[in-house]
Amino acid sequence: MRELRIFHLYPDVLNLYGDRGNVLCLKRRLEWRGLGCTVTEVPMGERARLSDADICFIGGGQDFEQGLLLEDLRSGRAADIKAAVEDGAAFLCVCGGYQLMGHYYETASGERCQFIGALDLATVGAAERMIGNFAFETAFGTVVGFENHSGRTRLGAGVEPLGRVLRGYGNNGEDGTEGAKYKNVFCTYSHGPVLPKNPALADAVLSAALERKYGDASLDPLGDLSEREAHESVLKKILG
Amino acid sequence: MRFVLAIICCKLIRLALRVLGRGGTALPGKVALRICPDMLSRLARGVRVAVVTGTNGKTTTCRMLEKMLRDAGMDCFANRSGSNLERGITADFVSNANIFGRPKRRLAVIECDEAAFRRVCGELSPRVCVVTNVFRDQLDRYGEVTHTLGAIREGLDRAAHATVCLNADCSLTASLAADAPDRVRFFGVDTALGAAPAVSDAPRCIVCGAQYEYDYHTFAHLGGFRCPKCGYSRTEPDVAVISVSALNPDGSAAVLRIDGEVYDAAVGLPGGYNLYNAAAAIAAATALGVPAGDAVRSLARLESGFGRMERFEIGPSRITMVLVKNPAGCDRAIDYLRSIPGDCTAVFCLNDNLADGTDVSWIWDAGFERLFEGEGGGRLSLIVSGERADDMRLRLKYAGAAEDSVRVVRSESELVEAVTTAGGQVCILPTYTAMLPLRAALAAKCGRKEFWK
Repeated sequence: MRELRIFHLYPDVLNLYGDRGNVLCLKRRLEWRGLGCTVTEVPMGERARLSDADICFIGGGQDFEQGLLLEDLRSGRAADIKAAVEDGAAFLCVCGGYQLMGHYYETASGERCQFIGALDLATVGAAERMIGNFAFETAFGTVVGFENHSGRTRLGAGVEPLGRVLRGYGNNGEDGTEGAKYKNVFCTYSHGPVLPKNPALADAVLSAALERKYGDASLDPLGDLSEREAHESVLKKILG
Repeated sequence: MRFVLAIICCKLIRLALRVLGRGGTALPGKVALRICPDMLSRLARGVRVAVVTGTNGKTTTCRMLEKMLRDAGMDCFANRSGSNLERGITADFVSNANIFGRPKRRLAVIECDEAAFRRVCGELSPRVCVVTNVFRDQLDRYGEVTHTLGAIREGLDRAAHATVCLNADCSLTASLAADAPDRVRFFGVDTALGAAPAVSDAPRCIVCGAQYEYDYHTFAHLGGFRCPKCGYSRTEPDVAVISVSALNPDGSAAVLRIDGEVYDAAVGLPGGYNLYNAAAAIAAATALGVPAGDAVRSLARLESGFGRMERFEIGPSRITMVLVKNPAGCDRAIDYLRSIPGDCTAVFCLNDNLADGTDVSWIWDAGFERLFEGEGGGRLSLIVSGERADDMRLRLKYAGAAEDSVRVVRSESELVEAVTTAGGQVCILPTYTAMLPLRAALAAKCGRKEFWK
């Protein structure tokens, strides 16, 4: 039986906006297909062998708690994450977790926090938050969600955007990009949580991990009735 | 002159809205403030005010405090409608005044939104402030929880003469004591009511960032916390629930210690979290001069607040309505739903209007899984409704509900029909704007008054 090991990084401090629903979503979608799944929570300060992970999830947190993480990143975790990314592990990183994967975060007053640097992107803070339901088009279909961030993220040459904004702000409210995609890393600003209402994206994350581990990305189709209706109703609301 | 004009306008608009059968509380106050921006502070002159803010339990704490004051013979008024922004509060102060602005009653119990607290405290010069707790709530509106805390802190700074009643068990709320050192009354629960939460809104020390240790947990991040690094820890409360002997569907029995004296208390509202509201109300009532023993006795004679554990008996259905707004409150409602024995119709109404919070992600932080543990799910008939009914159905599916067992009801009239004919126990968990019309429809069916009458 194929099975995947999901590592939920920093569930103790990066746990805003229901993003842990993504982990539940991945787990259920494996179970419903008779595939195996284990979830390991890796809180701040705890050492874990990231090389054991098939999928890593990093959510968003509040500024106060995100600041506490920097020390943990410097103590070797950042290097572990970079190595796992280069090794092809699947990652889903949302909002603050997405920003952490980049080079740095610069506050509105010019103060710069060094982040993981696993992806060629960086974020600059601004006073005004970008808040609301939004939709973007990806290689995995239209994605709907809710964004709530003050950071403006710009992508470097080495990464692709995850999608193009249909309605809303996305990475920075200016260039029409949303999120980032690099190797098997999926980054987005979308809460909601993003995966349950966008099952094609959820399955893309699972397939990427299965392909790497077993060379077999196949997934049995699921009914997804509630998923599709929730997706459609939000999309209708957004596009009006 | 502007002052008198504003009062007259406010009274006339309010009267007109009521003639039209609407309980408008925001519009009259909004117009009045436009005409005379400082009218709230002028109307509040000579009125002793208790202001209650915090994330959860504001309304119920206010109802408890009001009951204690009335039972003690202290005539007071309150913003009973739940319109807890500056304009709603202004309208209620106008109603309490004659057209020259002289107050009729000289004691007020005011529920205040966290974001409006700063301004309202500046206007009202309260004698007592209560902060019930601080949880994540409507982050689309308030930003981060530390911002909410900062806004409350500014309000307390402006209430320089107030006794400040703080939740000793909430590490976020209790940290406000440093800003009002000589005038704090702490309330809290000395005994465990639950286990450690899966997700905490405050895992890390607000002072130094180290992880808290807990001697015991009550709800969510509330409990006997202490920081092993900097020593920031729970303070022994002035009003404490020291033990709980019964938690029943109709109420609780507990032993309280109030300023060193011990009292047996019966609380006429169910749910362990109402023990916090009771302790908060006692801390405020005693600060306003109600004898502690009298305040405790009032707890046995409570009626539930507007949509908060409110009961309706209609036809064969025994309906309980429990307003939900955020994960912490929703988890308590789920506790209640689990405590109902036997078959039960569970109704979840999810809206995403401004007053509900436009981001519905929070439903994934509430532990709906607990409804489906063991045999739990089989006894429940599930209904979802509201503007985000499809999101709610999806949440229940991932929590463990069979997809075809969840009924989606789109229209309000169909929903009223469904809950009144379901029979047996019906428990409705609506968000704020979903609650208003549904509550009005159910209240009309059992001849209950609207809140503004």
